[in-house]
Amino acid sequence: MSDRKLKIAVICSSNQNRSMEAHNFLSKKGFQVRSFGSGTHVKLPGPSPQLPNIYDFNTTYDEMYRDLVAKDKQLYTQNGILHMIDRNRRIKSRPERFQSCKDRFDLIVTCEERVYDQVLEDIESKERENPESVHVVNIDIQDNHEEAVIGAFMICDLCALLSETDDLDNDVDELLQEFEAKCQRPILHTVAFY
Amino acid sequence: MEEEQSATESLSTYDRVVELLNQASLLQKDTQRVNNLKLVQELIVHKEPNLLDNFLDEMLAFQSDRSTDVKKTLVNFIEDACKKDPDILEKVIGNLCLMLGSDVVPVVKKVILTMATLYKVSLQWVCKAKKMSETIEQTWDYVNQMKRDIIEMIDSDNEGFRTHSIKFVEAVIIALSRKTPESIVPASSQIQVSLDQVPETHELLKVKKLEEEGEAALETLLGFMGSVHISSVNLMSCMGSVMSVCLCCSVNLMSCMGSVTSVCLCCSVNLMSCMGSVTSVCLCCSVNLMTCMGSVTTIARQRPQFMARVVQSFETLHVNLPPTLSKSQVASVRKNMKLHMLSLLRHPAAVDFHAQITTLLTDLGATQTEVMKAMPKEDVSRKRKA
Repeated sequence: MSDRKLKIAVICSSNQNRSMEAHNFLSKKGFQVRSFGSGTHVKLPGPSPQLPNIYDFNTTYDEMYRDLVAKDKQLYTQNGILHMIDRNRRIKSRPERFQSCKDRFDLIVTCEERVYDQVLEDIESKERENPESVHVVNIDIQDNHEEAVIGAFMICDLCALLSETDDLDNDVDELLQEFEAKCQRPILHTVAFY
Repeated sequence: MEEEQSATESLSTYDRVVELLNQASLLQKDTQRVNNLKLVQELIVHKEPNLLDNFLDEMLAFQSDRSTDVKKTLVNFIEDACKKDPDILEKVIGNLCLMLGSDVVPVVKKVILTMATLYKVSLQWVCKAKKMSETIEQTWDYVNQMKRDIIEMIDSDNEGFRTHSIKFVEAVIIALSRKTPESIVPASSQIQVSLDQVPETHELLKVKKLEEEGEAALETLLGFMGSVHISSVNLMSCMGSVMSVCLCCSVNLMSCMGSVTSVCLCCSVNLMSCMGSVTSVCLCCSVNLMTCMGSVTTIARQRPQFMARVVQSFETLHVNLPPTLSKSQVASVRKNMKLHMLSLLRHPAAVDFHAQITTLLTDLGATQTEVMKAMPKEDVSRKRKA
C-alpha cells in the first residue's frame, strides 16, 4: 500500500448523480476524492424529456432543491430527484465544473465516453507549469439511480486496486486488466500530462 | 522614500523566508514542510527574485529530506527558479543529476519532466551567453549527460520512466529542430526554443551536431512506436525479432530473453512459451504507445517538416497494432489515435497527407461529419497548393 493517498476526481456530466454517488461512497471509504461535471450546464430531469431543468454551475444544490420543491414537489419526490439533491447538498454546496478546476489529480474516473472526451480535450488544451501525469479511466455508467450505485461500487473497487501500488505508472496497465476482468465492462484508459 | 519602503519590504520578506525555512526544518508533517517550501518559492522566485541567490543553498538542503513530496516540491522550485534566472542552472544542475539517479521513483519522474523544460532553458541560456566560461561548458555537459541518461530510459523496465522519458524526448526534438512558418505552437507554451535561435558561429553549440542529435531523438521516438509492432508471426519466423521485442521490454527481460532465445532455436515448444513471456510484457505497452502517439503529434504540429514521417508511422502502427493488447486497450489506443489524426488533419501543413489521414480516420471509425469538421477551410489548402 502506498503511503501517499491518490488524489481522485470522479466526473460525470452534471455532477449530480453518478459522480456524486461515487464521491459519497469513496469519501466514506476514506479516499481523497472530489467530483465534477464536464457539461456546459447542469441538467436535471423535468416534467418531460423535452423540458429538462437547466442550471448553471454556480447554482447551489440548496437553491436547486428549493426551486424544484416550488415547481412540483410531488413529481420530484416521486422520481427521486429531491432525495438525490438533498444528499448532494450534504456533501458540498454546489456542483463543480471540471474545466474550471485548477487542482491536480493522480486519477480521473469518468462515467461515460463523452465525458472522457471532454476531459481529455480540456487537459490537452491546458499547458501548465510543472506538469505531472494523470491517469484517465472511463467506465460507462448509465445515468439512473440504480446504475449510479453499482457504478460507485465499481469505481471504489478500481480506486482500491490502484491505491495498492507504490508505482501507479508502472502497474496501471496490469491492474486495469485485472479490474476489467472482474467488472466485466469495457473501460478506456489513457495517461495525460498536465 | 520609495527606496526606503522597498528596503523595509525586502527586509521583511527576508525575515519571513528565514522564519519559514527554520520552521520547515523542524516541522514533522510532510505537508507542512511542503507548504512552507511552496511559500518560500513564491517569495524568492516571484515576489523578491533578488533573494533567490541568498536562499538557494538552504532550499537545496531539502534534497536530503525523507519525504518524497518535499523532494518533488524542491524540484518544482528548481524549475521555476531556473526559468526566472537561468544563471541558477550551473548551481543546481548537480543536484538534479543526483536526484535523477535517486531510487525514489516519483522523484526521478519529476526530474525527467523538469529536465524537459530545463533542457530548453539551458539551450537558450547557452545561446545567449555573451562569453563562454568553463562553468557554462560544464553545465552544458551535465545537461547533455542527463539528456543521454533520460533518453536511455525509454528502454527502462519501469513503465513510468518510459512514459516520462517519451515526454522528455518530445521536448528535445522540438528544441533541436527548426521552426517553420507553418509551425503551430500553443499560445500557452512558455519557453519556445528552436534550432533557429542557435547562432551558426556559436563557440560551444554546433548547429549541425545539434540537428543530428534532434534527428537521432526523433528516430528513437519513431523507433519506439515501431518497436511495439510485434506480431507473433514475426516472432516465429525470425528469432531476430525476439531481440527487437526486447527493445521495448525490461533490461532484465532482455538478458532473460537472450538466454531463452538460444534455447528456443531448437525447440518450438519452448518458442511458444518464449512468446508467452513476450506477450505478458507487451501487455504493458498501451500507455506508452499512447504517450508516444501524443508526442509525435505534438512534434508534427510544431515541426511540420516531420509531418510525412509521423503520418507514415501512424499508418504503420495502425495496421500493426500489438496483437497482445487487450480489447479495451485496443479501443483506447484507437480512440487516442483518432484524436491525434483529427488534430493533424486540422494542421495546414497536412494538406498533402489528407488522403492518408482521412483513410486512417475512416478506418478508426470517424464519421464523415467529424472529418469534415476537422478539415481546414478550402482557401487555406488552395493557398498552400498555389
